[in-house]
Amino acid sequence: MNTKDQHDNGRTGHRPWRTRLLAAAGAGALLLASGTVAPSAASAAATKDGDGGDKVLTVAVAQSVDSLSPFLAVRLLSTSIHRLTYEYLTNYDAKDNHVIPGLATEWKSSPDKLTWTYTIRSDSTWSDGEQATAEDAAWTFNKMMTDQGAATANGSFVGNFAEVTAPSPTRLVIRLKKPQATMTALDVPIVPKHVWEKVDDFSEFNNDKDFPVVGNGPFVLTDYKPDSYVRLKANKDFWRGAPKFDELVFRYYKDQDAAVAALRKGEVSFVAGSPSLTPAQADSLKGQENIRVNDAPGRRFYALATNPGARAKDGTKFGDGDPSLLDQRVRHALFMAVDRKAIVDKVFRGHAVEGSGYVPPRFSSYFFEPSAGQKLAHDPAAAAKLLDEAGYRKNADGKRLGKDGKPLDYRVLCHATDPNDKAVGKYLQEWWGELGISVTLDCLDNVTDPWLAGKYDLAFDGWSVNPDPDFALSIHTCDALPATPKDTGGTDNFICDKQYDELYAQQLAEYDPGKRAEIVKRLQSRLYDTGYMNVMAYPNAVEAYRTDQIGSITTMPSAAGNIYGQDGYWSWWSAVPADSGDSSGSSSSTGTVIGIVAGVVVLVGLGVLFTVRRRATADDRE
Amino acid sequence: MTAETAEPSVKPGGPGPRALARRRRRASVARFWKEYRKHRAGVFGLAALVLFVLVALTAPLTVGSDVDSVTDAPGQPLESPSGRFPLGTDQFGRDLLGLLVWGSRVSLLVGLLAAALSVLIGALIGITAGHFRGWYATVMMRITDWFLVMPTLVLAIVLATVLSRSLGTIVLAIGVTTWPTTARLVRAQTLAVESRPYIERAKALGGGHWHIMSRHVLPNVMPLILAQTTLIISSAILAEATLAFLGLGDPMVVSWGGLLQDAREAGSVSAGDWWYLVPPGIGIAVVALAFTLCGRAMEAVLNPRLGVSR
Repeated sequence: MNTKDQHDNGRTGHRPWRTRLLAAAGAGALLLASGTVAPSAASAAATKDGDGGDKVLTVAVAQSVDSLSPFLAVRLLSTSIHRLTYEYLTNYDAKDNHVIPGLATEWKSSPDKLTWTYTIRSDSTWSDGEQATAEDAAWTFNKMMTDQGAATANGSFVGNFAEVTAPSPTRLVIRLKKPQATMTALDVPIVPKHVWEKVDDFSEFNNDKDFPVVGNGPFVLTDYKPDSYVRLKANKDFWRGAPKFDELVFRYYKDQDAAVAALRKGEVSFVAGSPSLTPAQADSLKGQENIRVNDAPGRRFYALATNPGARAKDGTKFGDGDPSLLDQRVRHALFMAVDRKAIVDKVFRGHAVEGSGYVPPRFSSYFFEPSAGQKLAHDPAAAAKLLDEAGYRKNADGKRLGKDGKPLDYRVLCHATDPNDKAVGKYLQEWWGELGISVTLDCLDNVTDPWLAGKYDLAFDGWSVNPDPDFALSIHTCDALPATPKDTGGTDNFICDKQYDELYAQQLAEYDPGKRAEIVKRLQSRLYDTGYMNVMAYPNAVEAYRTDQIGSITTMPSAAGNIYGQDGYWSWWSAVPADSGDSSGSSSSTGTVIGIVAGVVVLVGLGVLFTVRRRATADDRE
Repeated sequence: MTAETAEPSVKPGGPGPRALARRRRRASVARFWKEYRKHRAGVFGLAALVLFVLVALTAPLTVGSDVDSVTDAPGQPLESPSGRFPLGTDQFGRDLLGLLVWGSRVSLLVGLLAAALSVLIGALIGITAGHFRGWYATVMMRITDWFLVMPTLVLAIVLATVLSRSLGTIVLAIGVTTWPTTARLVRAQTLAVESRPYIERAKALGGGHWHIMSRHVLPNVMPLILAQTTLIISSAILAEATLAFLGLGDPMVVSWGGLLQDAREAGSVSAGDWWYLVPPGIGIAVVALAFTLCGRAMEAVLNPRLGVSR
């Protein structure tokens, strides 16, 4: 269930890239200067280690918390916090993502594959002193199965559950309706029954009133202020060992440049970026003393989704996707005109990997690469030929005409807050312009509404993929379509393909990892051929931290991996404070100086303007 | 202006009425220029304006429309200034000097159109409210007051968000939010003009509402409107830059505010890539200042009560 990234702001849960906040409301052109100047004064309190004896790790995040209730939270920040404050049945190894014990120490399935028995560890206690037992886990799952309000975030995991019981405090038994391969990847936070059974309405309760919040993870949630910070304290009794830092603070920075400036000043120890630092920021931080830039393969893909004709489960068609996109040849031609290498080189400036299959190459066992004959390689001439064959020919003005005789003009839904969308959009406009197809970039702060209504032709799409790719695959099945046009389904892009659905069901029922991976690859091959989801790149996770505050930290996977937004609590749990207590590295950056100079220039100009205007109007009014 | 034939009248007794009018106008223009020249700041502003307008108008010849092409970008991303790229390159490797020149077209165009729209609305409401009085004037002035107290930027942001993203939207958003001051000024001047005896005479001779407003009031408030237009242009340019900076403009159009927004999004503020940030900022400030200086000088010339101090 943590298939969401920094930008996930969607009201329906699994919509990572859709809705985003207005980037800089209330700012003006003049803010170009204050972007660097203001945050310096913002908060110098938290990070200084050694001051009060407490070692504090401050993380700059660009996302606000949607809810602190594990039953409602879907954003990356919130689910990361739940990883830190609650135990899940299983966890993923930091080294290579394989499943390792969490709250459950071991598990086995019955020969008919329908009954799973978990052994719950007896050395995990809630922060209020009570023992964490199988009863808590059973209650959590049962609540999600019976209460619609509690199924908001993670309901998909229990949809196939028939019965969950706890015969003893250390034994949890789950009976399934159908075999389910994801039983060792149930990413559901287990909550304490004795606290949560007092909650009346799970769809309203946000778990942000009573602090500290009772949990059993490596950290305990102690304080939260919306759009400001989330404070966590180390859980000294954590069964895997206490974290090295005493306190962990997620501080909210709306402006990424401000977060970077705070990192330079040493006010924060870590910047996560949204979704990652820009190439310019990464390059400028690379040469800095005491700052390390972590540039690692990401777990996200960045794709161009085409509207396959939005429809609901009841068969009603809705939305207004261009009919020409229903032709597979057109979809292929569009993608063949996209130069993926240029996108990686120019837009991501090398901080990404060229796209191919659906699952990023980081998950090597599931990674799919199209065969030579299947691959939609960059070939504008072939693309033009394909469009001619499909019957979309150029008119005298060089514009390709649709079947209705009007020139093709595709609306591309883009996130106004994501610079990459706009940048790639500029390239698309020129590449497809060569083909004779116009492009209108529809950059919105809130893309959810047109998206859910199917009112787009193409759209920029991106998802974080878990070590178990089931969730990211499930969003393209017919089952995920909304029940009626008015409902919201789990679907990503209204894809409904019979062949895909059969393969999806097969992989879910397959318990043998090797065979399952084979089916998942065939599944991706099918998705690739449909041309509905065209993966352009796998962006890297580009993040930076201060080495004079963080001595060492675990990436996931450990060889080359990300720090923020891991499938587990490894990074913050393992972070070791640096020896040198003081952080004196407040070198005044040239950026700040120039920002101030530019600001002064603009302000003086404005000042003159303002006085002049005031005098003028005062005279007029006499 | 009324259409007049260029040939001078050939009445033996002296020049005819049309020629007289022409001569009078020419003289008043000359007088205006003589007065205007005394305002050194105004002359400086005018020179700067002429320069910017020339640069903007000749942009298709000097830099060409290919300058904003990302696929044929000549340089590497974010190159610092060099002989080949005097102002460096942007995140796509495009020449920033070229973009700055190209962007001036949009900034000036939007500024002019928005100011024209704003002054048109303001003058219309101001003149009619000053002329008709009564309940019509009350209603119009209350609407004006309402717009006057609305925070302009917030209202413009709302409009630009609700409507589709295009230049027209930006023009509309600025135009419909900045007219109230003009309306108030024009109404006051209209009231002053209409209280003069010759308006009463015109009425007595059968002059209708349209005649009074267009033939007597409008020529008298025209200088005020002109000066106001020049002043509003500068705030319109600033507003355009602000909206584009906030990401509310058309992302496919190069403008100064849009360049600042691109620079911010590319993270060049913290990276210290000053050549991406400073030139558009200075461009906005200088053009806004130039229009203000011109407007102020014009105001001083046309309205003797403001004196010669400035």
